[in-house]
Amino acid sequence: MRNDRLTLLELNGLVRELIEMEMPNEYWVEAELSECRESRGHCYMELIQRDEHNATPVARASAKCWASKWMLVRPYFERTTGQQLRAGMKVLLRVYPQFHEAYGFSWIVTDIDPTYTLGDQARRRQEIIRQLKEEGVFDLQRELHLPLFCLNIAVVSSQTAAGYGDFAAQLADSPFAFHSQLFPAIMQGEGVEQSIIEALNRIYEANGSNEPHFDCVVIIRGGGATSDMSGFDTLALAENVANFPIPIITGIGHDRDESILDMVSHQRVKTPTAAAAFLIDHAQTVLDSLGEAQNRISRQALQKLSTIHHQLSTIQEALPRLFSVVRTRQEARLDQLYSRIAHFVQQKLISRQSTIVSLQERIPMLLDRRLQTESHRLELLAEKLKVLDPALLLKRGYSITLKDGAAVRDPKTLHPGDQIETRLDKGTIKSTVI
Amino acid sequence: MKQEIKYEAAFAELQSIVRRMENDELDIDQMSEQLKRAQQLIKLCKDKLTKTDEEIKKILAEE
Repeated sequence: MRNDRLTLLELNGLVRELIEMEMPNEYWVEAELSECRESRGHCYMELIQRDEHNATPVARASAKCWASKWMLVRPYFERTTGQQLRAGMKVLLRVYPQFHEAYGFSWIVTDIDPTYTLGDQARRRQEIIRQLKEEGVFDLQRELHLPLFCLNIAVVSSQTAAGYGDFAAQLADSPFAFHSQLFPAIMQGEGVEQSIIEALNRIYEANGSNEPHFDCVVIIRGGGATSDMSGFDTLALAENVANFPIPIITGIGHDRDESILDMVSHQRVKTPTAAAAFLIDHAQTVLDSLGEAQNRISRQALQKLSTIHHQLSTIQEALPRLFSVVRTRQEARLDQLYSRIAHFVQQKLISRQSTIVSLQERIPMLLDRRLQTESHRLELLAEKLKVLDPALLLKRGYSITLKDGAAVRDPKTLHPGDQIETRLDKGTIKSTVI
Repeated sequence: MKQEIKYEAAFAELQSIVRRMENDELDIDQMSEQLKRAQQLIKLCKDKLTKTDEEIKKILAEE
């Protein structure tokens, strides 16, 4: 029995020989990196495969890329993908198996296909975009309006990055009274997602209590950072940005395709300085449009004044003519009244004159009639007188005794010596009373 | 000093004279007097019109 015993080295040696004999080839393997670190020029990785549905690991293995290969593979990968190998990344590796008596089993990496990683990331990005659209939040930020006076700015950046300094300096150099406040966050490597979400939450809380409110948020990442965008391509971060109630401007500096963060933000620019330039330009545009509005108002006012002035002088020119119309009309009325008066006066005089004439005509006739009446009356009186004539009595034998021309009716009126006259029909007797 | 009579008042008086004449409210003795008054009023009105016209032209010329 004892002879059957092997040392661990012997046993492991057997395994090594077996593997070397049975698996002499290299294989292309798809896997997810669960760890990745460099040490003394070599790259040590942990590979994992997860269950498609519940993400629990169903396979796991270590892998190594020796420095001799790594120094070739790594630049190519980074140049192609713009990223460093890191945990969470899906990779396509060319490997051969190695079992080392002291270090155990490991896949030795001889090549990495960066296009596979790119494709996988693109698929994942598409999936995140699809999900954001399905949630209806993809366009929310672009529906926000940047305030006209966008001067209070919350900045999410790493405090030490040169980009933030450039941004702040550029705003300070502008003629506008920008006020920016930094909300520090990790902008590369692990923890980007959580760190930015926390910064946004702090801004949200500050905005609830602080005066004045922030007009916009700027997420910037300084120069010198790698172009590793993977931290910005997560669903949780995109959802936070998309749902944020204040416009977010991203300037996270990269040349490749837009990150999802850029896609959901209100406005993307390439660099922190471009973000500052965008804000300054916006302020300048507003200032210009204010100036233009001012010009338009004064132009309109001047135009209005000149129109009114023109109207006034037109009225002024028309005034004498207008008044002469009034005057002519008034004069016509006066003339009409006067002619009515004249006409009436004339009528009245004519009518009075004709009355007088007719009266005049009636006078001779009336006189004539009167004369006739009187003569008739005279005639009647003459007839009556004729009957009373004393001559007729004298003819019948009566006589009249007169004294001093008056008839004597009583002898007692006579005295002796009085001369009397007795008138007879044919003569007169004169006697003396005895 | 003679009381300044307004154009409208003068015109109204003139109208009243005409109305009274037409309604035969005036007797012959009053008539010549009223006719004289009417002519005075007409002259006054016309003078006022002329004066106003001149004043308007003068004011506008000053502008």
